[in-house]
Amino acid sequence: MHATPTPEVPQSPAPPASRNPGRIGLFIVLLLILALVFVASLSLGSVSIPLREVVRILTGEPALKESWGTIVLDFRLTKSITAVLVGGALSLAGLQMQTMFRNPLADPFILGVNSGASLGVALVVLSLGTAGTALLAGLGTLGDLSLALAASVGAGLVLALILLVGQRVKNPTTLLIMGLMFGYAASALTSLLIYFSRPERIQAYTIWSYGSFSGVTWNQLRVMAPVILVGLGVAILLTKPLNALLLGEDYARSMGLNVKQARFFILLSASLLAGTVTAFCGPIGFIGVAVPHLCRNLLRSADHKVLIPAVILVGAIAALVADAIAQLPGSQYVLPINVVTSLFGAPFVIWVLIRQRRGATSFTV
Amino acid sequence: MPGCQGVKVEAGVSPALCRNCKSQDKPGNLPRFAPQSTFSELGGGLDDTITHITQPITELGYFFSEVIMKKTIPILCVLLLLVVSACQAASTASPQPTTTTETSGGIATPEANSQLPITIRYAKGFTLEYKDNYKILTVTQPWAGAEQAFTYVLVPRGSEPPAEVSSALIVEVPVHSFVAMSTTYFPFLENIGKLDALVAVDDATYIYNPSVREKAASGEIAVVGGGMGGPSANIERLLELDPDVIMTSASGIPELDVYPKLQEVGLPVVINGDYLEQTPLGRAEWGIFIAAFFDLEQQASQQFDALVQRYEEVSALAANVQERVTVFTNTDYQGTWYMPAGESYAAILLKDAGAEYLWADQPGTGALPLSFETVFERAKDADFWLNPGFAASLQDLLAMDARYAEFKAFQTGQVFNYNARVTEAGGMDYFESGVANPDMILKDLVKIFYPELLPDYDLYYYQQLK
Repeated sequence: MHATPTPEVPQSPAPPASRNPGRIGLFIVLLLILALVFVASLSLGSVSIPLREVVRILTGEPALKESWGTIVLDFRLTKSITAVLVGGALSLAGLQMQTMFRNPLADPFILGVNSGASLGVALVVLSLGTAGTALLAGLGTLGDLSLALAASVGAGLVLALILLVGQRVKNPTTLLIMGLMFGYAASALTSLLIYFSRPERIQAYTIWSYGSFSGVTWNQLRVMAPVILVGLGVAILLTKPLNALLLGEDYARSMGLNVKQARFFILLSASLLAGTVTAFCGPIGFIGVAVPHLCRNLLRSADHKVLIPAVILVGAIAALVADAIAQLPGSQYVLPINVVTSLFGAPFVIWVLIRQRRGATSFTV
Repeated sequence: MPGCQGVKVEAGVSPALCRNCKSQDKPGNLPRFAPQSTFSELGGGLDDTITHITQPITELGYFFSEVIMKKTIPILCVLLLLVVSACQAASTASPQPTTTTETSGGIATPEANSQLPITIRYAKGFTLEYKDNYKILTVTQPWAGAEQAFTYVLVPRGSEPPAEVSSALIVEVPVHSFVAMSTTYFPFLENIGKLDALVAVDDATYIYNPSVREKAASGEIAVVGGGMGGPSANIERLLELDPDVIMTSASGIPELDVYPKLQEVGLPVVINGDYLEQTPLGRAEWGIFIAAFFDLEQQASQQFDALVQRYEEVSALAANVQERVTVFTNTDYQGTWYMPAGESYAAILLKDAGAEYLWADQPGTGALPLSFETVFERAKDADFWLNPGFAASLQDLLAMDARYAEFKAFQTGQVFNYNARVTEAGGMDYFESGVANPDMILKDLVKIFYPELLPDYDLYYYQQLK
C-alpha cells in the first residue's frame, strides 16, 4: 500500500514525498474504497433492498415499493452522508489536536468541547418541569434542529473559553489541562442534572450519548454540512502551520510562524468540527484518535500535506464501515455506533500498530 | 409505552420503561436492572446511566443478551404462555377466588384469623400464607433474576412473634404509619382508605396525587430520599419518624438499593416487586400485598376481583371486532427504536384491547432495539401510533424528527399519548395510578381503537395529539 520504504526521518516534512507516485496510487485506492463503501452503505440495512433498486431510486426512478424510496433517500442517504462528514471531521480534528499538543492520546474532544455539548443537550433533555417544557416549546419552532442548537451553544461556550484562555496561556500543556478542567466542570453539571432527573429522561440522554448517524435528517444536514465544510476548509489552510508546529513551538516561531494566531485558528477549526459533530450525532469516540495514527502508519509520514487528505478519506471510510456494522445488515436490530467503533476498531488499530512498529512513533517526528 | 414531549433524544424514554418502573420519580432507577427485568422493556439503554454513559462493552453485552434471549427463549415462552393461559382459563372457570385452592401465587389455609383466605391469581412475585394467628408474605421475586426470597411475618399487634420464623422481618399489623418509596403505592393505599397512614415519600417532585402532593409541600408528609438512583435516604429522618413499615423496590445491586442500609439500622423495610410483573392484572394484584399490612387484604381482594371483572368485560368487548386495527408504539431515539416485545406489559394491553400490535410476534418481555427503517417499513401504514415518547403534540413529534410525518398514523392524526393527566412538574398519573387501574388503561385503548364500542366513555389517561 505504501511506497516509501525508508524510515521516517525526523526532520522537515518531506515535500518530495507528496509527489511520490505510490502515494497518488494510495489516494486513488482510498477514493475507490470510499466510493465502494458509500454505495454499500446505501444498500445495506435492516430492510433488504436489492442494489438494483437502490440505484433506480438514486437516479430518480420510482422504486418497486414506495417505502423503499423513503428508506433509501430519507434514511440511508442522510446517514451515509453524515457518516462521511463525521468521519472526515473527527479524524482531521484529532490530527490537529495530536500535532498541536504533540500528544498521541489527544482526540478532538480533549479540550472539553463535547462535555460542553453534552451539557447543552442535558439541559434540554433533562430540564424539569414547566421551565423545561417551555424551553422545549420554544425550541420546537426550530424544527428538529433544537437539540443540535442546544449542543452547539454548549460546545460554543467551551470553545470560547478555550480560545480566550488559549490567547493568554503560553504553554500548550497548560491549555490541555485547562481544557480537561472545563470538561470536568461541564460533566459535573451534567451529572447533577442526571442526579435530579427522571429515569425516562435519563434514558433519553443516555441514548443520545451513545452517538448515532441515523438521527440526522435532511433538515439538519443542511446546517451541519456547511459548518463542517467550513471547518475542514480552515483546517486545510492550516497545513503549513501544523507542519511547523510538529517540530515544536520554538522551532515554528523561528521559522516565522505566528504561533499565537496559528493556535487560535487550529483551536477554532478543531472545536468547530468536533462541536458540530457532537451537536448532531452525539459524542462519537475512537475515530478521532485512531484514524490519524492509522494514516501515519499507512503513509509513513507526518507531513500534513498528505496526512490531511488521508485522514479525511480514511476517517470517512472508517465511519461508513462502522455504521454498516452497527446496522447489522439483515437483522432488524441496530447497535450503538460507539460500541462498534471501539469494539471493532481497537483490535484493528492495535494490529496495524504492531505490524508496523516503526510507524507508531512517526508522529512525534 | 413511552411518554414524551420534545426533542428526538427525549423521545428516548421508553414508555415501557416508565410504566415498568414503579418509581418513575426516581432517577436512575432503570439502569442496572438485569436485562430480563421489566426495565429491559426500555431497551436496556439505561443500563449504565448511573455509572458511566459510554461503556460500549456493557451495552453490547446487554444487546446480545437481549438477542440471545430472544433466540433461546421462544420455547420457554410458549411453555410459559401455555401455563399462563391454563391458569387463566382455570381462574376464569372458577370466578369465586375466595375458595381455598392453591394457584399460581398464594397458598391459603382456611380459618385463619377468622378471615377468608385469599388466593393470589395473577401476580407471580409474592405469596400470602395464613398461619395460626399470623400471616406470611413472601416476595419470591424481589428483583429480576433474584435467587433470594424475602419473607415478612405479619403478626397482630402486641402478640409474640412465632419462633419458627425468627429470621424474617416481623411486622406488627395493622401498621399505622407507612413510608412509600414509589408513587405507585399511593393508589393502592387510597383504595383501602389508608392514604392517611402515609408519613413519608422518597421524593415529592413527580407526585401526581393532589392530596399527597399538598401534604408533601406543607411538610405534613416528610420527604426522605432513598428512591433508587435518586438522592440517598435520609436515615436519620427515617429513624426519627420510626414508621411501622417502609416499602421500596429493589434492583438487587446492594450499592444502589436502599433496603440494605435500612435493614442495617433496624428499620422495617419491605421490598415490593410490582414492577416486575409482566401482566397488567398481575401488577394490580400487588394492592393485596400492600393491604395485608393494614389487615385489609379482604377489602383489597374484593376490589381486585371487581377490577378483574371490569378488565375482562372491556377486553371481551374488543375481542369480537371484525377488523383489527394495527398499532405501533414509542419513537426513534437517535437511530434506535425501542419497541416493546410481544410478551411485554405494553403488548399484552394492546392485545387485550383487540388491536393487532405489529411486533406481537416477537418473543420476549423487554424491548427490541430496532432500526428506524425497520419500523418504518413495517409501521408506515399502521392505523395507530401510541405512546410517542415525550411528545405532547404532533408538532413536538416533527421537532424530534421530520421523518415521522411519513407515517400514515401521523398524517391521519391517530397518534395518542398517555399524558392527559400530568402535573406541571411532569408527574404523570399513568405511571402512578395506572398500575392500580389497568382496566382504565384498557378502556382508554379500546376507546381509541374502537370508539363505537364505548360511545359514552371519555379518555382518562390518554389524549389524542393535536
